[in-house]
Amino acid sequence: MSGLDLSFGKVALFLCFGLLPIAGFLLGLRAPSIRRQGPIILAFLAGIIPILSIYIPKRFLAHPEMGMSPRLDQYLIIVAGFALPLGIVNVIQNSSRKAIRRETGWPFAVVLLVGLFVMGSFGIYGAWTGEGIGFRVDGTSTPFKWMEENCFKPLQSTIFALLAFFMASAAFRAFRARNAEATILLVAGVLVMMGRVPLLEFIATPFPPLMPAAAAASQWLGKLTEWIMDVPNSAAQSGIIIGAALGAAAMAIRVILGIERSYLGLGKGD
Amino acid sequence: MAGLLDKLLKIDRRWIFFFVALSVTVPILVPLGLPISTTSATQMAFDFVEALEPGDVVLLSFDYGPSSAPENDPMAEGFMRHCLSRDLRVVVCVLYPLGALGLANNVVARIGHEFPNKVYGTDYVNLGYKDGDRAVMRRLGDSIADAFPTDVNGRPIADLPIFHGVRSIRQVKVVFTAATGLIGEWWITLVHAQFGTPVIIGPTAVSAPKYYAYISSGQLAGMLGGMKGAAEYEQLIGKKYPVLGNYYKGTRLFTAVKGMDAQTAIHFVIIVFILIGNVAFFASRLRQGRS
Repeated sequence: MSGLDLSFGKVALFLCFGLLPIAGFLLGLRAPSIRRQGPIILAFLAGIIPILSIYIPKRFLAHPEMGMSPRLDQYLIIVAGFALPLGIVNVIQNSSRKAIRRETGWPFAVVLLVGLFVMGSFGIYGAWTGEGIGFRVDGTSTPFKWMEENCFKPLQSTIFALLAFFMASAAFRAFRARNAEATILLVAGVLVMMGRVPLLEFIATPFPPLMPAAAAASQWLGKLTEWIMDVPNSAAQSGIIIGAALGAAAMAIRVILGIERSYLGLGKGD
Repeated sequence: MAGLLDKLLKIDRRWIFFFVALSVTVPILVPLGLPISTTSATQMAFDFVEALEPGDVVLLSFDYGPSSAPENDPMAEGFMRHCLSRDLRVVVCVLYPLGALGLANNVVARIGHEFPNKVYGTDYVNLGYKDGDRAVMRRLGDSIADAFPTDVNGRPIADLPIFHGVRSIRQVKVVFTAATGLIGEWWITLVHAQFGTPVIIGPTAVSAPKYYAYISSGQLAGMLGGMKGAAEYEQLIGKKYPVLGNYYKGTRLFTAVKGMDAQTAIHFVIIVFILIGNVAFFASRLRQGRS
């Protein structure tokens, strides 16, 4: 029989993310300033522990099973799971209010709620009966799987497929060489569109004697496209990615240090 | 002439929709079999898998939904067929919430059926969906069993022979993520950067340009960019493994190679409309300048 695990990392995590929030909540009932400080302290701890575990590879911080940082990752999976019910509650609240008040587009809110409850019920039914949400042992579909295959997938595919029509229409209306920058974008875009597919072979299909020339030109166009993607595109993307990463790091530091509080719904003066 | 140009500029968009519909449906109904050249990013991915030893463990992550399935499904299927042909052990997982689990279940069932000599739990396994994307990736770095205690059927993964000698993502030889959105990028920035596991990505064509930067920096072992990348991969594995080549030639199911005909036709239509739009635009500007 194993005894109670009282390793330092586990106890420290329990204190930080178990007792501290409860104490903060109880004290906050009487002192609103503590109520505001509690989440900021929690965010600081949740942010600083994984960073420390990288630079201080001590057992209580970084051990795969006992360490605070890996355990915190486990907590994160659980917390992420709780975000789903939160989203469902939010959808039910907003959509039911819209439907009851007969606001603009209320029939769509009703469809959303019906979809949510029907799919949710079939999912719960699958879990309750032990059938799951996939195929049954005999190969037939569970109600959830049937709805997924025959409603959800076709609907999502259809919505996305509509983009092709709107993109073509938008390209015709907006892709114009109005100035130098737009011309560069237009030329590069058309070259990449031509180089990514065997377009010249497609055009030469009705004229077989032209096919070898089309194939050679297509190969050259393909190389040009690869160069555009590998060099100018890659350089620009690297700049964007590095810039975004630095921005994310700066924002993370602001949250950890409690400078950025908008996620709490607090303004600068609060 | 001026009247015609004005008409072109004000063309009813339903005509554009009509030509788009025509260019997608006709090549699917009457395949053209256009040739497809191989890009270096796809060749890198193929060569990387070819260099692995039989018995090595690879992870295939379904990070896309039905909206991009025509692009991503052929990638995931091609990769899984390639790995099973090479006797690699394939671990499948799902991190995308909107319908990816259903797609993964279908692909695993279909390909498992194509390889009757491969045993579920020994040669391939489906771990199912886990919420928390980045947290799950971080957890995989310490222990796969902590992130996915059971497979999709609820069987403890400790009981599955496929995981013998594999504790964490560090022992996995490569991660292939068929991805839409940001999840693919997290495999690079979290799993590759922190645990050193090589990553091959199969993004949708619209996301592909971003990943060229990761290829240039050596952080990606290869990429199948959009349907074109999937079609290239199908051709490469079809040439190397005659059984797969015969499958791709004979199947009545959708493949990326078949999809490329439609994509070529629609690119042609869009380019023609862009050219018409620009010719009409310049002609009308010229006319305005003269008047």
